[in-house]
Amino acid sequence: MNHAIISCLHANLPAVEAVLNDIDRQGINTITCLGDLVGYGPQPNEVVELIRKRGIATCQGCWDEDIIDGLNACECSYPSQLAERRGHLAHQWTDDQLTDENKSFLASLPTSLRRDRLLFVHGSPNSQHEYLLPDMDAFAALERVETAGADILFCGHTHQPYVRELRDGSIRVRLQNADHDCDQGEELTLPMRKIVNAGSVGEPRHGSTNATYVIHNDATDEVEIKEVAYDVARTCQAIVEAGLPKVFAWRLSHGFEFAEQAEDASHVCER
Amino acid sequence: MIERWALVSGLRGNLKTYDLIQRDLKKTRGVTSLFVLGDLVGPERNCDALLDRLKNPHRGDLKPDCIYGWWEEQLLAERGFRGERKADALRLSQGEDAVNALLNTVNPSNLNWLASLQFGFIELDCALIHGSSSDVGDNLTSETSPLILLDRLTRLNVNRLFTARSTKQFHLELTGGGINSQVKDLNGKREQQQEVPKRSVIGIGAGLNYTLYDVGSDKTHFLTAGSKTNPKRNGFA
Ligand SMILES: [Zn+2]
Ligand SMILES: [Zn+2]
Repeated sequence: MNHAIISCLHANLPAVEAVLNDIDRQGINTITCLGDLVGYGPQPNEVVELIRKRGIATCQGCWDEDIIDGLNACECSYPSQLAERRGHLAHQWTDDQLTDENKSFLASLPTSLRRDRLLFVHGSPNSQHEYLLPDMDAFAALERVETAGADILFCGHTHQPYVRELRDGSIRVRLQNADHDCDQGEELTLPMRKIVNAGSVGEPRHGSTNATYVIHNDATDEVEIKEVAYDVARTCQAIVEAGLPKVFAWRLSHGFEFAEQAEDASHVCER
Repeated sequence: MIERWALVSGLRGNLKTYDLIQRDLKKTRGVTSLFVLGDLVGPERNCDALLDRLKNPHRGDLKPDCIYGWWEEQLLAERGFRGERKADALRLSQGEDAVNALLNTVNPSNLNWLASLQFGFIELDCALIHGSSSDVGDNLTSETSPLILLDRLTRLNVNRLFTARSTKQFHLELTGGGINSQVKDLNGKREQQQEVPKRSVIGIGAGLNYTLYDVGSDKTHFLTAGSKTNPKRNGFA
């Protein structure tokens, strides 16, 4: 059966509507959302209400968490002070706009969802703020999936869709014991695992302005990355009219967040 | 100078144990540094005398460099040094009585010093941490999945991780292996191969059980303070 996974909607209603239409057209009924319903974009209430109305199973994203808990991500999440100021501005604006009801919906979201051997999270099983980038250390990537007890890990947060297969892994170890210096060699064979990043519906950063999401077939395990065009100009205009930083509109119309990647993307804030 | 480190943990207020270790180290050739990897305090006994000795070493003591461990974390959290967090881990595992016992073992005048201790040291290509960079309570042993051990080394980008939380003594080397990965995105597919880096995780023990590490030759020696039968105590080079 095919099911769809969407992530990082970021209060971009035209993009969310276009993606849901695309999924509906294919007759896919099961949709899972990996969070970041709000942030950057101009329609936070509308997007949250649409997800609630459709009853789409959702985990909590980094923006959803920050709106509830207050901003406690450290400045290390931002590549520059300018980006941090803009992030704070968008946070404040979103916080002012969201209704109490929609806030408590975001607060009620779980940090992960599990269906059999499939695990759904926003960033990583460790944190909504951890980036699993496509080229991160392969063993560390496998550790995230394996420690969480999943075969396939679905994540978002990077806004770049990808499918990564980790296979033929092994680690050889030798133990020097406390009581006797015996050399015990051993080899651990690592299991095959997959990480699927759903990209971003509302704030794509993969080099095109199209919204992205993925479809997974749970019988064949095949994954398809989908791109959907939507009315970018409409969202950009709404961003400007809302008084949000114009750079968010500029970013959407280019499909890439130039020089706005945190320097150490694997950094997890301990705060 | 050839460096030889002594690594100690889990003293938990026991000045006698610390004294025995210091005596041992006096008889051991070439020890250049003493690292105390946390759990200076514990719920069993009053810890102030040990803390005083660590802060103000006796003449002839090897000067200790201390970091905080799981027990300090619990104490400091309960005493309001960790924001909203309290000694939840201790409360959950051993109950309210254990929390109260711990609070009573350390004079409040020692709290600021404990709170000034670091989470870990990075020395050369070695990380010295009570648990791991993931958590001060991370319980790494020789039984821990090598995948997790490798992850903890990768997070710190070091070749050796010295850990104390498990109280076990072990030296586990990652000696080989690899992994293939294929990434598919909207630009196509690419293959990657990665090898296991040669790295180790060393459990240093606790209490009387401590570790000597020869930095130049990458050799560990697992010792027990005060034990006369230990054949390796003297004379190894
Ligand atoms: Zn996002
Ligand atoms: Zn995010």
